[in-house]
Amino acid sequence: MLSLKNISKYYQAGGNKISVLNNVNLDVDAGEFVSIMGPSGSGKSTLLNIIGMLDEPSEGYHYFMNEAVHQLKEKSRSALYKEYIGFVFQAYHLIDELTVYENIETPLIYQNIKSAERKALVADMLDRFQIVGKKDLFPAQLSGGQQQLVGIARALITKPRLILADEPTGNLNSKQGEEIMELFRKLNKEDKVTIIQVTHSEKNAEYGSRIIDVLDGKIDSSRNL
Amino acid sequence: MFRNYIKTAFRSLKKNKGFTLINVLGLALGLAICLLIVFYVIDEMSYDRYNLNADRIYRVNNDIKFGGSENSYAVAPAPMAAALQAEFPEVEKAVRFRQNGSFRVKKGNQDIQEHHFIYADPDVFSVFTFPMLSGDPNTALKDPKAVVITERMANKYFNSTNVVGKTLLLDDTVNFKITGVIKDIPKQSHINADFFISMITLAESKEPSWLNNNFQTYILLKPGSDVKVLESKFPKMVKEHVDPQLQNVIHMSYDDFTKTGSYFKLSTIALKRIHLESNMQAELGPNGNIRYVYIFLAIALFILLIACVNFMNLSTARSANRAREVGVRKVLGSARKHLIAQFLAESIMVTMVSTIIALIIAWGLLPIFNQMAGKELSISMQSLVWLVPAVIAIILVIGCLAGSYPAFFLSGFQPIEVLKGKLAAGFKGGFLRSFLVVFQFSISIFLIIGTLVIYNQLKYIQNKDLGYNRSHILVVKNLYALGNQAKTFKDEIKQMPEVANATLTGYTPTMDYRNSNSLFQTATLDVKNALNTQMWYVDEDYVNTLDIKMIKGRNFSKQMLTDSLAMIINESAAKKLGLADPLDKTLYMPLDQQAKHVKGYHIIGIMKDFNFNTLRENVSSLTMVLGEERGALSIRVKSADMPAFVSRVEKQWKSINPNQQFEYSFMDEDFDATYRTEQRMGKIFVSFTSLAIIIACLGLFGLAAYAAEQRTKEIGIRKVLGAGVSSIVAMLSLDFIKLVLISIVIAAPLAWFAMHQWLQGYAYRQNIQWWVIALAGVGAIVIAFVTISFQSIKAALINPVKSLRSE
Ligand SMILES: Nc1ncnc2c1ncn2[C@@H]1O[C@H](COP(=O)(O)OP(=O)(O)O)[C@@H](O)[C@H]1O
Ligand SMILES: [Mg+2]
Repeated sequence: MLSLKNISKYYQAGGNKISVLNNVNLDVDAGEFVSIMGPSGSGKSTLLNIIGMLDEPSEGYHYFMNEAVHQLKEKSRSALYKEYIGFVFQAYHLIDELTVYENIETPLIYQNIKSAERKALVADMLDRFQIVGKKDLFPAQLSGGQQQLVGIARALITKPRLILADEPTGNLNSKQGEEIMELFRKLNKEDKVTIIQVTHSEKNAEYGSRIIDVLDGKIDSSRNL
Repeated sequence: MFRNYIKTAFRSLKKNKGFTLINVLGLALGLAICLLIVFYVIDEMSYDRYNLNADRIYRVNNDIKFGGSENSYAVAPAPMAAALQAEFPEVEKAVRFRQNGSFRVKKGNQDIQEHHFIYADPDVFSVFTFPMLSGDPNTALKDPKAVVITERMANKYFNSTNVVGKTLLLDDTVNFKITGVIKDIPKQSHINADFFISMITLAESKEPSWLNNNFQTYILLKPGSDVKVLESKFPKMVKEHVDPQLQNVIHMSYDDFTKTGSYFKLSTIALKRIHLESNMQAELGPNGNIRYVYIFLAIALFILLIACVNFMNLSTARSANRAREVGVRKVLGSARKHLIAQFLAESIMVTMVSTIIALIIAWGLLPIFNQMAGKELSISMQSLVWLVPAVIAIILVIGCLAGSYPAFFLSGFQPIEVLKGKLAAGFKGGFLRSFLVVFQFSISIFLIIGTLVIYNQLKYIQNKDLGYNRSHILVVKNLYALGNQAKTFKDEIKQMPEVANATLTGYTPTMDYRNSNSLFQTATLDVKNALNTQMWYVDEDYVNTLDIKMIKGRNFSKQMLTDSLAMIINESAAKKLGLADPLDKTLYMPLDQQAKHVKGYHIIGIMKDFNFNTLRENVSSLTMVLGEERGALSIRVKSADMPAFVSRVEKQWKSINPNQQFEYSFMDEDFDATYRTEQRMGKIFVSFTSLAIIIACLGLFGLAAYAAEQRTKEIGIRKVLGAGVSSIVAMLSLDFIKLVLISIVIAAPLAWFAMHQWLQGYAYRQNIQWWVIALAGVGAIVIAFVTISFQSIKAALINPVKSLRSE
């Protein structure tokens, strides 16, 4: 599904070049559930953002769904991204001014999907996550776990083939975290959605099929479970 | 998609109620003022356009240079209208007007003084659009002693408009037959009459002289003819008609006359331009002034700019808080154009609400504005025709303009940068925002300086020594009503113990009696050293009543019988004459058209110049001779109890003639009335300046609040580290004060230059003083500081634990 070849990322900081990612090679197949682990500041988020095309590598080759991403123009890249990728954040990043329903609906609007179809899709999703009763609430009225559920529902609404989750359970207690992980596992198993998550918890990492350890901008190890 | 934008916009606006309120109110206030000004400007520009033939009507003006002075007159010779119609095929019709004072109109046994009389040729109703309700417009003014009156007057005197055939008794002597009733003339008309008297009633209208100019003459051109072509034929006509008469009067051919530098030049002005652009001698009434229209428009634009800048500034400031939303939306797949559309939609929405509030404010302020501007503006169905499209245009243009910066700025964010929270920091010192604040304050300071300069000039006019004393002078008007008893009345008044002195003449600095004349230093009337001068008929009490100083010679004296041929001249006239000692010299005046008879006046005194015209003009030549002129009696009063005195004078008046209306005024009030335009402008300027400053302060207030909010955490940390309230207030205020200082540097020279130009319109002026600029600068800083410190102090007083807890 995706392949990173010799990917590096530098930042210029007052004359010094800081290397964040260093010659990273990574292949992920469709249907995998990958957990990325590593100490803080090791470059996990940067790696995930590059995979998600939110960030560009300084060097290297990036292939996604058989397209050479590093050669694509901004426009086709964002089209590719819009079609296949869904993002889940540690800080949820729901839009405060929109209700649960509207938050989930928003990506569909950007895909120019008709109102009636949107209604059906969002209703399905609310059903599936059992948050129908909360659909008219605003994010501030929800607990962290509920907000993250909405965040995932929003990421899933466009039926992405790849979910990228950066510490999705970082702000949640362990019980809420477990629920989210169960959900990921189910998505991976039943819906064949490829998932790449960053996590600090060994326990959560084990929900995945492979654990990658990142250290100082390099992939230190990769274990299949 | 659009609904989604609106929803977010609406909720986000609701969440930031304070910002939204400041934003909406600031813009609404600015728009309201603009609307009022636009109303005013449209009213000023719509003058005389009610005439269906407006595009084909022109007035013929006469520029005359004679005896060293040149003047433009709105009047032309009596026979010219007929000549134009006879000699030029492109002139379809020509109509003359003549204003000749006011009349007393009999109603029951009461006499009412009416002022809006005008003599007019019979064609007036086919040239101008004065729809006639009853009567025949073609023949109404054909016969002598015929009068056409307006609906208003018909109702006033007869309680009916069906009055054709009835008579009006004027001045208690002459009966006029009413031959027509016309609709009231629209307010937006430079011709402002209630009574049209048939021109043929006036003997002067049949005189053949081309040398006297007394008739406002309007021509209706045939469709398709070129007024420029017509104008080019004027010189030949003038020469043909003036030459023989000139030969008769001053024994000089027209060619020789022009060789001395003198001339008569006819020109035309389009009807629609008269109100705003014409300011000649003998206009039908006071006209507007296109300069004030421009100044108003400039102010409107300034205020609109300030309001828009505010709007942009506050939207941008607030939008920093929405950077995260932009980031999330981008991650969710929003294209940049969607974000731009979203922010524009939001901005347009706010503008729309502001515009609606602005309309309400403008509507509410209209009566006050009318009072200040001396107008009767109203929102009518007619104004809706332009108002509705204008409002839509305003909403779109301002909405897009004000929304464009946040729209393009925000939508350009990189999503991960935003989501990492990097933006807020980099957003603090936005250059554009500083620039906009400077821009706003420059305008405000400009307006403050302008206001101060106008105010100063008005005060200067009030306090300037005019060479005569206008206080404690009661002016009783129109002693013509007393006939030969006028002199008796004066003598009786002079006997009263409260009266210091009194003078009988209409020729005073504050009344509009004027008489220009040409005097010659030789009995042969040699044009070369002619003196073109005002020549006033006064009595021997004039100089003393008005406290005019004599420099040389003496005042008129009752004891000297020869003083009937004596003359007093002012310093300017003395200078113009160019004589070493003008005392006892003689000046000659022709008595008839042919100049067969001349009258010589010998100069017995020279008086100090006094400002008998407005302070816009320099004092010009003035000569005074004895003569009984009954236009007014000016009474210098000793007593302080004016009302009691006035009623005693009125009693005296009634004892002479109980049927005549007693009219009076005070000379100092009349003087002030001369500067009413300036007073008005001054008031309007002050109000607009205040509003501009309020709007600018609203913006600054919002920005300060925003800056304080942005720096809450920093302030908290500083306080924990031991910073005092005052140092934090200073830290927060300094950034803005710096911007205000820059504004002063920019605005002061510009304002100085602009106001210097304005002052050139006054021959007598108070030049701009340094303290005006200093005051404006200090004022702006103080205002800005007060505005900001409100927010700064609030921020500085917050308990640091509160602001740091969220981290
Ligand atoms: N814009 C940037 N400029 C400079 N350094 C950055 C920037 N963004 C991230 N870094 C650095 O890159 C390193 C890796 O960051 P990140 O990928 O967020 O780490 P992780 O997610 O593993 O904690 C960090 O040391 C961080 O300081
Ligand atoms: Mg991270």
